[in-house]
Amino acid sequence: MGETNARHSGARALFNRVHGLKSGNILIVFVAIQVIAIGASLAFPQDFRYLSTSNLQVLFRSIPTLGIIAMGVNLLMISGEFDLSVGSTFALASLVMAKLFNAGTPLIVAILAAIAIGIMIGGVNGYIVVKSNVPSFIITLGSMWFWRGIVLLVSQASNEAFNPGPGMDAVFTASIGPVQVQFLWFVAIAIICWFFLERHKLGNHIFATGGNVNAARALGINVKRIKMMNFMILGALASLSGIISTTRVNNVSPIQGEGLELQAIAACVIGGTALMGGRGSVLGAFLGAALLFTVQDVLLLLRAPGYYLRLFVGLIIILAVVLNEILRKK
Amino acid sequence: MSDTSRTDIKAAPQREQTPYIEMRNITKYYGGTIRALHDVNFRINRREIVGLVGDNGAGKSTLIKIISGVLQPTEGQIFVEGKETKFSSSKVAMQNGIETIYQDMNLIDCMDIMRNIFCGRETTTSMGFLDLKEMQERAMHLLKNEVTIEGIRSPEQLVGNLSGGQKQAVSIARAMFFKNQVLLLDEPTSALSVRETQAFLNHIQRLREEGLSIVLVTHNIFHAYQVADRFFLLSQGECVLDVDKSETDIDELTKIIVAH
Ligand SMILES: Nc1ncnc2c1ncn2[C@@H]1O[C@H](COP(=O)(O)OP(=O)(O)OP(=O)(O)O)[C@@H](O)[C@H]1O
Ligand SMILES: [Mg+2]
Repeated sequence: MGETNARHSGARALFNRVHGLKSGNILIVFVAIQVIAIGASLAFPQDFRYLSTSNLQVLFRSIPTLGIIAMGVNLLMISGEFDLSVGSTFALASLVMAKLFNAGTPLIVAILAAIAIGIMIGGVNGYIVVKSNVPSFIITLGSMWFWRGIVLLVSQASNEAFNPGPGMDAVFTASIGPVQVQFLWFVAIAIICWFFLERHKLGNHIFATGGNVNAARALGINVKRIKMMNFMILGALASLSGIISTTRVNNVSPIQGEGLELQAIAACVIGGTALMGGRGSVLGAFLGAALLFTVQDVLLLLRAPGYYLRLFVGLIIILAVVLNEILRKK
Repeated sequence: MSDTSRTDIKAAPQREQTPYIEMRNITKYYGGTIRALHDVNFRINRREIVGLVGDNGAGKSTLIKIISGVLQPTEGQIFVEGKETKFSSSKVAMQNGIETIYQDMNLIDCMDIMRNIFCGRETTTSMGFLDLKEMQERAMHLLKNEVTIEGIRSPEQLVGNLSGGQKQAVSIARAMFFKNQVLLLDEPTSALSVRETQAFLNHIQRLREEGLSIVLVTHNIFHAYQVADRFFLLSQGECVLDVDKSETDIDELTKIIVAH
């Protein structure tokens, strides 16, 4: 009796601690969904193959593309800005890398050029936003179409093959059991982002800038530089995501990455990042990205027709935002 | 009436010492058309409390923000100990020993008390990483011994969940922690209780004895009269009175303020 009570209060304390985390809500929802999916998979191993190696591989391979970008989008959103051009950056960086490599440039140079392109696009976006004071939503909407246009122009609207060989595969896409290297990249980037955001003074300045830009400026923070920095970090991460994804499919399509910008924002918002800035967490964005793919995966395993996916994702976004808002006010 | 004030300006004794901060011919336009300040000369001497008073919209906060580096004047110069200095950002002003409590933009609601206090001036270990333990201890010490705030349990409480008075007290705590040469206080007690306001007024008088210069903006003429050594009255962006306490009394002061 006493023991059950103790265990009970232990569980309660754990629940309270998790709930108190900045990303507590999404963590609880995420764990709940995993428990249900794993339980169903154990109960009906033949019909619901959630735990099969091939399914886990699909998950670990799909999550990083969006997840890595979401890490950057999260930082930028916390500082109070948006970037709708990440899908185009993703495509252009991939295209530049493939074109350069196919033209005989050393692989490492091609990769660095791709990253540099992302940083450059982010820098231009950021510069225009902080200099003009026009909302970044509008500036990067223009930027999204502009760079997509460049991609179509450079690629002549056709695919570009990319076969860098086993070395690059080993670094970005090899499998270690069901887990793939690109997932480890995602985890590593998330950990770095966490230290940066929660333990570095620049992270503190990111929260301050998004939380109250006038107060941040009055406290001596160079808010323009903080925003520029975040645009550039995001550009680099969008490029990296493009590089990994291109290495996996050995091909650059001129429309690749379309829609990623909104999915990444959705992942962050599901994870509790505020649209107006100032609030958000790395774990939340991480789980937000993972959750989107888990739901997609579960629907596929249930052989639900494709339109269910959009329907569910739409519902999740609305529910998550409303729930976060209600719980925050409490 | 305007005659009286003009004599008063002349009557203010010219101090022999160079003021710590001197502002000459400061004019400020917002967006090219709204004139908030016109040809204002303002000085802050060492070891004095200046009561900066005037009606709503007189330009007090604008003047404060120019001294704190948040705004740049359209025209005019700022001197620090006689040396011309451009306050191009709040950072420059802070480096010149100026610490400010603003009327309306002090705190970041979505951050906790500790992070608010140290925001922009974090204690770091190597490579800019936060020394959370050290900041925690300092914040704890500050809130326990120097600026106690009613109802605050820990420096980790979110500022957004505090009451108006508690928030103001956090701003005060930060200013007291980083206080240096000059304290600019733009209505720092507007949300405080009577008791806490008195404690605060006593506190800034002690700080003056320690050698600090303080500019106190307030609509409460009794508070200003209680602590200030000099009064500076703005009306529609212009200085209409700059007088030492010894040259006036509260009735005359009230009359002049009401007349403007
Ligand atoms: N950011 C701004 N943009 C445009 N006009 C402004 C701005 N800030 C202040 N003003 C105008 O400048 C004038 C002076 O404002 P200021 O805030 O300095 O007055 P104040 O003396 O502090 O008033 P209060 O006692 O109400 O705080 C006012 O007419 C105000 O409307
Ligand atoms: Mg004011």
